[in-house]
Amino acid sequence: MESNKKYWKGLEELQQTPEFVESSKNEFAESLPIEEVLSEAGLKTVTPRRDFLKALGFGVGAVSLAACQKAPVHKSIPYLVKPEEVTPGVPNFYASSFNGYGILVKTREGRPIKIEGNPSCVLGEGKLDAVAQASLLDLYDVAKLKGPRLKGEDNTSWDDLDKFVRAGLNQASGKQIRIISSTINGPSAKGVIADFIAKYPNTKHIQADAVSYSGIIQANQSSFGKAVVPHYYFDRADVIVSFGADFLGTWVSPLEFNRQWVKKRNMASLKNKKMSRHIQVESGLSLTGMNADARIPVRPSDENLALINLYNALGGAVPAQKLASPKAEKAIALAAKELSAAKGRALVVSGSNDVAVQTIVNGINSLLGSYGTTIDIANPSYQYSGNEADLVTFVKEANAGQIGAVFFMNSNPAYSFPNAKEFSEALSKIALKVSFADRADETASLCDAIAPSPNYLETWNDYNPVAGYYTIVQPTINPVYNTRQPEQSLLIWSDNATKNYYQYVKATWEKNILPQAGLTWRQLLQKGVVALPAAAGAGAAFAGNVAGAAQTIVSASGTLNKGGEKTLQLSLYPSVALRDGNYANNAWLQELPDPVSKVTWDNYVAINPKHADELGFHEFENVVVKAGDRSIELPLLFQPGQAKGTISIALGYGRTHTGKVGNEVGRNAYPFLTFERGTFQTATSVEIERGSGRNELAQTQTHHTFEGRNVIQETSFKDYVNNPHAGSSKHGEHKDYDLWPEHKQIGHSWVMAIDLNACTGCGACVVACNVENNVPVVGKDEVRRRREMHWLRIDRYYSVQAEGRSITEEKELEDLEDDFENVTVVNQPMLCQHCDHAPCETVCPVIATMHSSDGLNHMAYNRCVGTRYCANNCPYKVRRFNWFNYWNDSRFDNYMNNEFTQLVLNPDVTTRFRGVMEKCTMCLQRIQAGRLQAKIEKRPLRDLEIQTACQQTCPTNAIIFGDANDPNSEVRKALGNERTYYVLEEINTKPGVGYQTKVRNTLEA
Amino acid sequence: MRSISLVFRRIAQSLLLVSTLSFGFQQANAQAPAGGAAPAASSGGGDAAAGAALFKQKCTSCHALDRQVVGPALKGINGKHSKEWLHKWIKNSQALVASGDAEAVKVFNEYNKTVMTPFPELSDADVDNILAYVEVGETAKPGGEAGAAAGTGAEGEAKKEGISNLMLGGLILIVVVALLVIVVLNRVIKTLDRIILQKQGVLPEGEVLEESTAVRFRRLAKNKKFVFFVIILLVALFGSLGWKAMWNTGVHTGYQPTQPIKYSHQLHAGTLKIDCQYCHFSAYKSKNAAIPSLNVCMNCHNYVTASDKYNGEISPEISKIYKALDYDPQTKKYGNNPKPIQWIRVHNLPDFAYFNHSQHVTVAGVRCQECHGPIQTMPEVYQYSPLTMKWCINCHRTREVNSKGNAYYDKVLKVHDQLKKGEKVTPAVLGGLECGKCHY
Repeated sequence: MESNKKYWKGLEELQQTPEFVESSKNEFAESLPIEEVLSEAGLKTVTPRRDFLKALGFGVGAVSLAACQKAPVHKSIPYLVKPEEVTPGVPNFYASSFNGYGILVKTREGRPIKIEGNPSCVLGEGKLDAVAQASLLDLYDVAKLKGPRLKGEDNTSWDDLDKFVRAGLNQASGKQIRIISSTINGPSAKGVIADFIAKYPNTKHIQADAVSYSGIIQANQSSFGKAVVPHYYFDRADVIVSFGADFLGTWVSPLEFNRQWVKKRNMASLKNKKMSRHIQVESGLSLTGMNADARIPVRPSDENLALINLYNALGGAVPAQKLASPKAEKAIALAAKELSAAKGRALVVSGSNDVAVQTIVNGINSLLGSYGTTIDIANPSYQYSGNEADLVTFVKEANAGQIGAVFFMNSNPAYSFPNAKEFSEALSKIALKVSFADRADETASLCDAIAPSPNYLETWNDYNPVAGYYTIVQPTINPVYNTRQPEQSLLIWSDNATKNYYQYVKATWEKNILPQAGLTWRQLLQKGVVALPAAAGAGAAFAGNVAGAAQTIVSASGTLNKGGEKTLQLSLYPSVALRDGNYANNAWLQELPDPVSKVTWDNYVAINPKHADELGFHEFENVVVKAGDRSIELPLLFQPGQAKGTISIALGYGRTHTGKVGNEVGRNAYPFLTFERGTFQTATSVEIERGSGRNELAQTQTHHTFEGRNVIQETSFKDYVNNPHAGSSKHGEHKDYDLWPEHKQIGHSWVMAIDLNACTGCGACVVACNVENNVPVVGKDEVRRRREMHWLRIDRYYSVQAEGRSITEEKELEDLEDDFENVTVVNQPMLCQHCDHAPCETVCPVIATMHSSDGLNHMAYNRCVGTRYCANNCPYKVRRFNWFNYWNDSRFDNYMNNEFTQLVLNPDVTTRFRGVMEKCTMCLQRIQAGRLQAKIEKRPLRDLEIQTACQQTCPTNAIIFGDANDPNSEVRKALGNERTYYVLEEINTKPGVGYQTKVRNTLEA
Repeated sequence: MRSISLVFRRIAQSLLLVSTLSFGFQQANAQAPAGGAAPAASSGGGDAAAGAALFKQKCTSCHALDRQVVGPALKGINGKHSKEWLHKWIKNSQALVASGDAEAVKVFNEYNKTVMTPFPELSDADVDNILAYVEVGETAKPGGEAGAAAGTGAEGEAKKEGISNLMLGGLILIVVVALLVIVVLNRVIKTLDRIILQKQGVLPEGEVLEESTAVRFRRLAKNKKFVFFVIILLVALFGSLGWKAMWNTGVHTGYQPTQPIKYSHQLHAGTLKIDCQYCHFSAYKSKNAAIPSLNVCMNCHNYVTASDKYNGEISPEISKIYKALDYDPQTKKYGNNPKPIQWIRVHNLPDFAYFNHSQHVTVAGVRCQECHGPIQTMPEVYQYSPLTMKWCINCHRTREVNSKGNAYYDKVLKVHDQLKKGEKVTPAVLGGLECGKCHY
């Protein structure tokens, strides 16, 4: 493949818009008003001698007064009785669980400050995604309720609330009681609810997930007689075809799937000349689509028809319909060929929530022999088991006045139910409404009583995410506010024999799980997870009605595409950061740039640029999206890769009752969900019209630009097999001249290797880095000013691939007839490269940034005077300037401008003050701690003992950090790989971070 | 010139006077404690003496003769139980309880089932000695005597302190008086001198001399060279003073805040020789040396109340611990209203400097005193070292890395030897001066 392929981060860069050209000239968006001062008016202004003397006198006086300050009194308050396991200054790690993923919670003096994956977790294997990393901040959220609330009254005791609820429950005896929750798979919580139902037999437990998978569950019920989401194994598949399933971003169990997916694409696999092939068929560009080897953009109506065609191409014979796009038609035929060549090693998934579509998918997987190989339905996943039809029924029953009492547990239908108004009206007809939400959210604020639940880090609980796998949640801090677990409340209200939920959890485990695992309770608390041997996973006998399903799909697609070509089709997708909106009040997640669009703090209408041109719309223009009587106004975002004739909107935004951070950020797109054929459908046909004004999105994509310099290397799998060096752009032999003396690293030499082929761009590393290094959140306005503080950013580069050839020259791009549907993407995590010959060090006038003897570029904040020369001279654009005291400034009220939230700060890392430069330190605090541990134990440092925060959490192990002086270290092996190259090698900065060429398993043209 | 030599003579005279006076008082002072320290009368008595030693060694942590500590007061114990029973109980009380001995079970239950440490190592004779001491303690009250002796000792100390305070006051008074005398004498001598001079006719009028000084001063002020010289001198003086003051801004050597409890390192670390690690254990495994939590204090102060120094009352400082823990020394129960003690930090590093105790204490083997000074002699802790960056760096430049027997350093030292043969390996050589080693 040509090494001079054209890469671009955004359309403004591709088209070299005047704004982009202007902004790329400067490191900082707003320049200092030097010109103004130097202009005539500036020079002519006179400072009277008296004023000058006054200022001077004041300055001298102030300084001498400040210098007179006596030693400040710092209090030091030791424990009264120190817990045995706590040593001040030494962190403790506790095993717990987040949504079924095993985690280790790092606590310092009793407060959790970091969450990491538990290496024994079979789903995460020690890795975590962005959401789990950021969930720590929710513990310190000040928007949470500080105690129970009864009829809007905050000064309520739990006794009063209990009395009220008991009275309500007694009154409701003639009517129905409902517990509405999202999926609950923990055996203890399920037990508590079952006990409650035993006490109040007129109770029914309704599970409904905002982002639902009931299509899969119901399809499996009809196909195999098992109402479950199966357990997928992407690591066993050589050919993966996904129809709109964003399995690397949000679908079912993305962290686990990231980990599996990379196993056939990582360094070890490539060494063995093996690489899986991944084809993505979708309308909007998703995280998974970015990483696919081949991506077929189709409209939602075609997406499902394509599945039928694929089924027929694999040997099925059901009524089908030709696709609107002949290109897609051809691609599906090719995919079918590849799939049938890989029978038993193939996997087809679909993101649709339509039972009929999932029935076809089941049919295809049966034909491919996936059951028992890449899909395990004998040991299913319990991560999602909700059924929204029950919720719809509930609304009807409530409207009919049949419901006497309702409890909401981790469920917020007033926000996520498509027809929220109907839901609210129905709710008003219920006598007793109780919410267990931790804050007065959309639903809870409609309830009579809120029994706030504590954060998961303050509770006992358990999960059973997949069959045979159990995780325990143990508290790592005493409840900060006056809260009580929902399970505890249910125990009390149902007069359970077990008064305490902790006892209940312990009893459940000791009775059902621990004997099988051969563990004691104490051992469990240490280990955190239990994996029991799996049930035999035989290939399941498929008994689904494919023909009927196909019929349904064809007619449904017809309805969706009722106006033909002109119909605009909307597809809704959960945001990678906010998911279903539950995490909307988390500033770390709000500021995490979307992996695809790099937009922060907003959702938007993603549209194909060419399509928008045809419609006459401009970027960031507000448009009104309408479907029947539902409409929302959002800005337009030109998204390369978006199928023409479609738009995509992210769910999870537009919360109104979540807190300062998440309120009124974006717009709620749930109303566009339609309840058809027993499930919520994410695709619908809409109309758009011009709205009022413009909303410039805070998009980081072109903020730190390389101005077209070639920093990406890419090759095809075929070329790689022939020549492992393929794709590297060598500039010919020439003599190097050094301005700097050579650095001898006699002890350690800290370096990093990043595999572009493994990086999916999920953003877990960015959040992990923020948590570990106290990186401030700056908010939407500041991001617009290009002032985001992230030490680690993921640069997402598009390149155009049309008709099987890649576009290399700018000229070609200009006459390109292609419509930006076919783009390929490379993700490049970019952080301080710790250059041996660092340009930043040379220009610092106060020597605040220095090279260390172990290959790191140190930054002394207390020495920095803020000239920002270093940032200007950094070719990698990785230095960040503190424009404000972000952690203690009322202007940044949505971050940590309060003492409680500040407890999340890592005490081993300085919080930087206004006016200094900062950048990645390679987690220097971890390096120092690791070295010290080795010294105390009088042993050499072990490889991988020190892990940077980004490396630790990376689900695909794309980042490896270590000592290049250790001949057996992983990082040395990685950097010795043929694919290794250094960014901007040609300017001889000698970076400490090596990248490995991206390999794409493309079909031969 | 004559007048200058006169002035010198006078100053010398007065200095001599003051020093002789103060020397005389110091001598007197030195004699005072010699007289005060009377040899303590040693109580003799065969078995009881040996028993007393054993009692102190083995029993005092839980027992006293005349009051309940952890275990009961032992006064009259010989009358309460048979000798055989006492022997069995002391050697292994739990065995006796387990054997179902009614008496033993009763005692065990009476004292909240607190298990008494078994002493199998004590011979019958030892136990007899102890019991004898307890007996003698009852009849001859050696304990009381000892208490009295301690009391007088304490009083003596108090007296000594009183004398020394008095001494200081007296000394100051004498100096003041001496100065007054000198001034008056000077005046007299001056007047006499003038009278003599006037009589000799050398000095016709007294006022002329002073006028001439003023004139001379005015003339000097017009001498540009002189003025220039004075200004230079003044600038140099104030400059150097300012320079020094600036450099010492924020340096708090000698900082000695008043702590909520008058805890004495002199007593605990100096006299009692308690290892630093006993209380500041985290200095060996953590970045913080950490002020110990009160449960560490209670390990000893559960029974050490220093009441013998306060007429049987618990020491006021120790009772602060009890108050903080809401602990009742009578019932030995902890209440529900503890209030942490707010100590005042003596050693403050700025937030941007990361210092780790375990690196220095455990890895490098630096003694506490190297940075904290003669801590074992400090009744109240003060800051000994300047804690400036210069001070850190100087040590990193000069000290040798403690790499002996530490496999961590093997590789790096090998390379170092190859690069710079025989040079001393200081932290600086291994990168100990780099910004990022302390600032991140």
